[in-house]
Amino acid sequence: MNNITKKLRKMALELSYKCNDGNLQSVFSCIDIIWVLYDKVMNWSPQMALDNDRDFFIISKGQATLGLYPVLIEKGMFSYDMIINEIGKFESRYCIQTDITKFAEGGIENNAGSLGHGLPFATGIAYANKIKNIDSMVYVLCGDGEFCEGTMWESLIFAQSKNLDNLCIIVDDNDSVSDMVNLDSLNEKFISFGFDVLEVDGHDVNTIETSLLSLKTLKNRKPKVLIAHTIRGFGSKTMMEDNIWFHKSPNADELKKLTKEVDLF
Amino acid sequence: MRKNFLNFVSEMICKEADTVFLTVDIGMWAIKDTLSNHSDRCMNIGIFEDGMMSFAAGMSRRGFIPTIFGIQPYLIERALEQIKMDLAYQKLGINVVGTGASCDYSKYGYSHYCPEDAMIIKSIPGCEFIAPGTARQFLQLYHSTYRNGNPTFFRISDHPNKIFDFDVSFGKANIIKNGSKATVVVVSVLLDEVMEACANLDVTVLYYTTLQPFDYVTLKNNCSSKKVLIVEPEFDGTLYYDVCSALKDNAIYIDSVAFPREIFRNYGTYDEKISYYGLNAENVRKKIINLIKE
Repeated sequence: MNNITKKLRKMALELSYKCNDGNLQSVFSCIDIIWVLYDKVMNWSPQMALDNDRDFFIISKGQATLGLYPVLIEKGMFSYDMIINEIGKFESRYCIQTDITKFAEGGIENNAGSLGHGLPFATGIAYANKIKNIDSMVYVLCGDGEFCEGTMWESLIFAQSKNLDNLCIIVDDNDSVSDMVNLDSLNEKFISFGFDVLEVDGHDVNTIETSLLSLKTLKNRKPKVLIAHTIRGFGSKTMMEDNIWFHKSPNADELKKLTKEVDLF
Repeated sequence: MRKNFLNFVSEMICKEADTVFLTVDIGMWAIKDTLSNHSDRCMNIGIFEDGMMSFAAGMSRRGFIPTIFGIQPYLIERALEQIKMDLAYQKLGINVVGTGASCDYSKYGYSHYCPEDAMIIKSIPGCEFIAPGTARQFLQLYHSTYRNGNPTFFRISDHPNKIFDFDVSFGKANIIKNGSKATVVVVSVLLDEVMEACANLDVTVLYYTTLQPFDYVTLKNNCSSKKVLIVEPEFDGTLYYDVCSALKDNAIYIDSVAFPREIFRNYGTYDEKISYYGLNAENVRKKIINLIKE
């Protein structure tokens, strides 16, 4: 794990501590992906956060929004001091999930919360961009467990039938779904739905980058999927071993302990 | 009403490049040329009402004005969470036009009935609900709202008023008749029945086609009797909150003629349902006379 992704994780821990809530296992499993997207792949910067031809990032697994704030802070979109002071407070716009109506200057592309909403929403953006001939990509981060929702599969049917090669789904496959049902091979399912599919180690930032860039260059009328195999809580031994961290915020002692674990990971 | 709507859709799609029409596999017969000539913005999107709401929200975020067409219970009840989170919470302008009204599909059973539509949508802040009584009124109300940036729900009926048809405005009730003994608040397609019932009675009749936002002022200014009969082709009580709010400074008598809050386990014709549940002139007249006597 490199220094920057350690820094992002430590920031997420602090945010969770400050607002006394959070789904840190889920955040830690996808934060490497979000960082690579913003740092290496997307045509995006704070200065072009409202530009028509920017790339879009939709966080469909809304419980991981605490993984987005650190990345946007690091890229200069939001101020760390402001978020750390405000997060979770009554009148703050920064919390566990996001309210798009409070971000008129951009940076947050959709309201995250209920599962199964982000992918069809992203599909609508991709389709709108396509018929407006806007050259941009729409990236949408989904959880593997989210694929229990029917709207996910409905969206795949539509995206394929409209040849949305400007849509790239990233599955944060941290094996949540096997606790619920047997989905078998997601890869085969996506291929059968007409998608281009790549699989990567979701914590190997170099492989994530090369895979996403190769998918981005494929203008072949097929929507894309990157299945990123991840580990819940990756970056903290405690969080990887104890599923209580699916929904738990650290107290002061735990914050110190977990921060140290991230440094040593 | 449905035919007029689809004719308008064809015209809108042809002339207005920022409009989008999504049908859930109904009505294609009336717009087949538009479906073919403008296939990018006029689509039979498939049978996925819930995901379609989120999809339309995404298109709205990119500057399009989507109109969704389907059958009322599937648009509203199946997609309720999407309506709440992707339309209302995000404040996105999407038009949702539903057929079936309360029980227009009278032989299809409870899956196709939706007398609770207005009550459900009125419970989601920021949503608008429109129930026109005639095809002409539908077009007037659609014209005045489809670009207003709000989630707007239209209930269109196959059983419009045949006698009373006049201009209406969004958010405004029409005063059809002035009287002193009671006020009748009548909604959309039941106006003909109400006017027949009110013949020779000294009552006020207020006609509502916009149920959300409700026109409080017109009711407040036209109810000196403090007696209100609500006549609505949806679940009983849908407008109770609004009527009470409009007249909150006074003690009032309220009665209603509406569909009862129960599961409809019957088939038959629309007229049979209207008769069975008492949404007819005879029952309305009986209720008004009783109210006047109170």
